[in-house]
Amino acid sequence: MEVYSPEGLRADGRRWNEVRNFKCHINTHQNSSDGSSYVEMGNTKVVCLVSGPMESPSSGRKPNSSSNLTVSISMPSFVSNSRKKFKKNDKRIQELCIFLVKTFEQIVIMKNYPRTIISISIVVLSQDGGLLPSCVNAITLALIDAGISMYDYVSSINVGLYDTTPLLDLNHLEENDLSFLTLGVVGKSEKISLLLLEDKLSLDNLEKLLAIGIVGCHRIRDIMDQEIRRHGNLRLSKITNK
Amino acid sequence: MPKGIDVSNVAKDFELESLKQGLRLDGRKLNEFRDVEINIGNSYGSVDVKLGKTRIAVRISAEIVAPFEDRPFEGLFMINTEISPMASAMFESGRQSDEEILISRLIEKAVRRSNALDLESLCIIAGEKCWSIRADIHYLDYDGNFADISCIGVLCALLHFKKPDITINEHQEIIVHPINERVPVPLSILHIPICVTFAFFNPNDVEENIKGDSNAELIVVDPTMGEELLAYGSLTLTMNKNRELVQISKAGGLSIDAMVIMDCSNLAYEIACRITDQIREAIKADDAKRAEKRLEIRL
Repeated sequence: MEVYSPEGLRADGRRWNEVRNFKCHINTHQNSSDGSSYVEMGNTKVVCLVSGPMESPSSGRKPNSSSNLTVSISMPSFVSNSRKKFKKNDKRIQELCIFLVKTFEQIVIMKNYPRTIISISIVVLSQDGGLLPSCVNAITLALIDAGISMYDYVSSINVGLYDTTPLLDLNHLEENDLSFLTLGVVGKSEKISLLLLEDKLSLDNLEKLLAIGIVGCHRIRDIMDQEIRRHGNLRLSKITNK
Repeated sequence: MPKGIDVSNVAKDFELESLKQGLRLDGRKLNEFRDVEINIGNSYGSVDVKLGKTRIAVRISAEIVAPFEDRPFEGLFMINTEISPMASAMFESGRQSDEEILISRLIEKAVRRSNALDLESLCIIAGEKCWSIRADIHYLDYDGNFADISCIGVLCALLHFKKPDITINEHQEIIVHPINERVPVPLSILHIPICVTFAFFNPNDVEENIKGDSNAELIVVDPTMGEELLAYGSLTLTMNKNRELVQISKAGGLSIDAMVIMDCSNLAYEIACRITDQIREAIKADDAKRAEKRLEIRL
């Protein structure tokens, strides 16, 4: 199968710079958590629950012994095509969690929440490429829903390279074939907070991918911002109608 | 970055203030990599590498095993990175800290996933027998930057290692010829990935970093332990001499402008080229020494 046809179409009918269908909702689990979100990037679906800020369960712990932010990801065996058990201590998932913690530690205004913990748990419902980006976007939304103070949005997307053409927002098939860059961008700036590349890429192509990735991140940020504002207005109208 | 050592505020301020003036405590420039010292041991595949005070020993071993069923044409390669408290009291034995997980994943991606070692050349009889190569990294002393030195150490050791020659007889049996009987064969290394780590410091407050556009963040190459303790995040780039990026990993930390990252990668390329040449020279020098010795014995 062709990843990118000579006519400029990808396997799923998108052009090189088109993002998959991005859907997001906040406040999806009102009773089970302080903040929640649901993010869909194409066929990748992720639910994120935030509880906190709350008292640390082990009260005897030193206040700055470790991070006050914890992230756990659970991957049920039905997330991908091949039914496969994911172990809790899978190194790759642990690495993802560390990446997410380190990213959000800088973005959440932690000095407002001393001696408390914020625990974030992510459930992946379906995996079709772009797992890390959808986790980042889901956490941003859920933290906003929980009312936790942050400096700005973090939005994330991946960009791959096919020959000399950059492709935005890869799905699972494309991720397997191409080398790709995952970036996380803070707000509307060009500053990169998260950057991950796992396969070989020519150094001369890096600048191109970064530029397109940043534009993609800004687009995702705009969609998330719209959803937050829509939800805010909805709540406001409910209060005023009473 | 290791946790567990608390740095006093005075020391913190002093270090940050000197970095702002472009000075580092060990006298290096901000963009200067420490000197790498490569010592090659007596047996094939044992290497001792020093990067300033950071020191590791790498040992390669090989044995013949059955390959994985789904990959009958490939040999096995594994890298063992377990940091013991010998390196520094801040590492616990048994439990892996976040930093250890990141380092081991990084080495895995830089060396194994990038196919630095040609696995297909390790196949002996397809589906039945293959070589299994194992690299053990022993962390002897810690003064920052385990990622870069591990990568240099593993590559040196792999380049130096020679596995015993084998023949297959008519009964499909494998005969291993001891090293003193037949000249051993080197491994086939496809490229030499070199890691370069940058640490970030923020001279202003967090808000300036996120909202402002001064890009005043300080960037330091090859951080020592003291610098790692104070840094807000790091970036590790892995490159080879063919201008290929093998791996990039920037796990959160300070947000850095895309253009600054481009500058970092160009600098990393220069450093990677220099270290690659150094590794090659070290291996060549050792080969020459061994050839001389062999000649002496024969005379």
